[in-house]
Amino acid sequence: MRRADRAGAVLLLLFGVWFAAVALRNYTYWSATGPGAGFFPFWLGVAMAALAALLLVRAAREADAGPAWVPRGRGVARFLGVLGASVAFVALMPWVGMALGTVLFLVFILRLLEGHAWPAVIGVAVGTAAVNWAVFAWWLRVPFPAGVLGF
Amino acid sequence: MDLFANLALGFSIAFTPFNLAMAAAGVILGTLIGALPGVGPVSGIALLLPLTFGMPPTSGIIMLAALYAGSMYGGTITSVLINTPGESASVVTCIDGHQMALRGRAGPALGIAAIGSFVAGTVGVVLLMGMSPLLARWALSFGPPETFALMLLGLTTVTGLTGDNALKGYISMVLGLMLSMVGFDLISGDARYTAGINEMLDGVDFLPVAIGLFGLGEVLAGAERAVRMEILSARYGLRDVLPSLADWARSRWAIARGTVLGFVIGVLPGAGPTIATFLAYSLEKKVSKHPEEFGRGAIEGVAAPESANNAASAGAMVPMLTLGIPGSATTAIMMGGLMMWGLRPGPLLFEKNPDFVWGLIASLYIANVMLLVLNIGFIPVFVRALRIPYSILMALIVVFCITGAYSQNNKLWDVGQMLVFGVVGYGMKKLDYSPAALVLALVLGPLAERALRQALIISDSGMLILFQRPISAVLTTLAIVAVAVPVVRAFHQAVAGRGPNMAPTPPGAR
Repeated sequence: MRRADRAGAVLLLLFGVWFAAVALRNYTYWSATGPGAGFFPFWLGVAMAALAALLLVRAAREADAGPAWVPRGRGVARFLGVLGASVAFVALMPWVGMALGTVLFLVFILRLLEGHAWPAVIGVAVGTAAVNWAVFAWWLRVPFPAGVLGF
Repeated sequence: MDLFANLALGFSIAFTPFNLAMAAAGVILGTLIGALPGVGPVSGIALLLPLTFGMPPTSGIIMLAALYAGSMYGGTITSVLINTPGESASVVTCIDGHQMALRGRAGPALGIAAIGSFVAGTVGVVLLMGMSPLLARWALSFGPPETFALMLLGLTTVTGLTGDNALKGYISMVLGLMLSMVGFDLISGDARYTAGINEMLDGVDFLPVAIGLFGLGEVLAGAERAVRMEILSARYGLRDVLPSLADWARSRWAIARGTVLGFVIGVLPGAGPTIATFLAYSLEKKVSKHPEEFGRGAIEGVAAPESANNAASAGAMVPMLTLGIPGSATTAIMMGGLMMWGLRPGPLLFEKNPDFVWGLIASLYIANVMLLVLNIGFIPVFVRALRIPYSILMALIVVFCITGAYSQNNKLWDVGQMLVFGVVGYGMKKLDYSPAALVLALVLGPLAERALRQALIISDSGMLILFQRPISAVLTTLAIVAVAVPVVRAFHQAVAGRGPNMAPTPPGAR
């Protein structure tokens, strides 16, 4: 965690400085009537830079590396699996549609990633897609992407 | 009397069939969400917020408030039977609750928790009802300096008290304020930090951020560790659950103390139900005649914290409704909901939307009765729900995150935002930053900026105006102290190069 803190602190420090610089350059700091659009963001940028500097000092002086925070082994597979499937679900939604997408997503997670039995997987996947559709598309009238198959 | 007329109005609204149904849905879902480890009231409310867009705001807040109350009841079940807290406000209950269960007294533990929760929840609503109108009337006199000072205090105390790491808490808070700057500036009309992207003109949307941080983020963090739970079996007939006379004699003052303490803590900005439970437990241990029994199944050790968290959840609504300052992540998300429904939380809410406020208050009475019945009579149903494997639950939560984020504006852009903040939330959780502080700052940011700029416009001495008016001077000073204490301590530690953590607070405090 010490290394992550150092890297994070440097990034946040740069971000704070950039934020304050943009505020001063692009927006009015003080107009005739009072503080302008750049006033608050400028001080936020300064505050972020100051806090990040404090974090950097602290992390730099830390004696031990602290607990590891990056997942290992099976945890990596599950993390990447869930995240990847979610991104794919959203990216493909205009073509696959919400209902079919939900089924495919759940089949992927529950069968391929978690190894549940097929009957349970199908039941949960189809049931969820149906309930989801009933609540959002039918009751709340949310126009879900329908996909090429039309549902 | 005014109060009774208002309450009658409230009950006439709460007793309409649709609102009753929403309260029932809220308490059932809330108890479930409280009981299931991995989802707490914050994620629950963020995930259910999209459902409320199709209803009148009053029905929406009734469902969310009932859910919040229900989650405080439901967390107990998991603490007692599995020794894993269902949500953070039931961490303390594990200590004596699980010991009671191991000694075959799971029934009375759950029973006294439900009764204590009912007493505390109901008294909490009475106090909420009595206190809010007075506070709202007082707050009507607030000008921009007082408003800004109040927001500053809310932001700093919440940040200082939630999470294990105050410095990273403040970083999270400033990050939230920065995100809230994106989009049109309402005073000057400038488009700020939009990177030329049209979708960013409206700003970083609150809902996808909340769902991402507390829904997807929690799932990603939970996906790594496989959870295996062993559920103690017990009997839940009415006779098994109702506490004996001896239990009751030992618990009644614990419930009373927990209620008062919990409510006071709940009203204070920054300290929510979780902190209330820790304080109630240690208070009870201190005043007890047999402190050696604590940790070995003392029933007061269940009664006091379980009462405290319900009273605190009622108390936490007070500053949100009357001042427009949420004191915790849960109420911050509720307040975000209020603003999305087009309401303005704050002193005027009581004058402009009496049906909303009083409908909510009346519904909370009803919700507590429903919860008492549910948590005395239907325990086995929730125990069965605990057997749902986490892997299935997590997949369902992700589906719900995606649908929820989409349904506000029907745009995939929002879902993309949700995914990004899911990863951000995962990282923040792993590295000890505070998603709660970020969300709170995102909600309060635009309001705080406007109040500050208005204060500076009317001021002829710059920032000093904050100290020239008595109320804002007190609030600002408190806020400065709240920031200074942990930062000075952090600086000391940084110089001395000692341990990384400051101000040990309960894990995942909400």
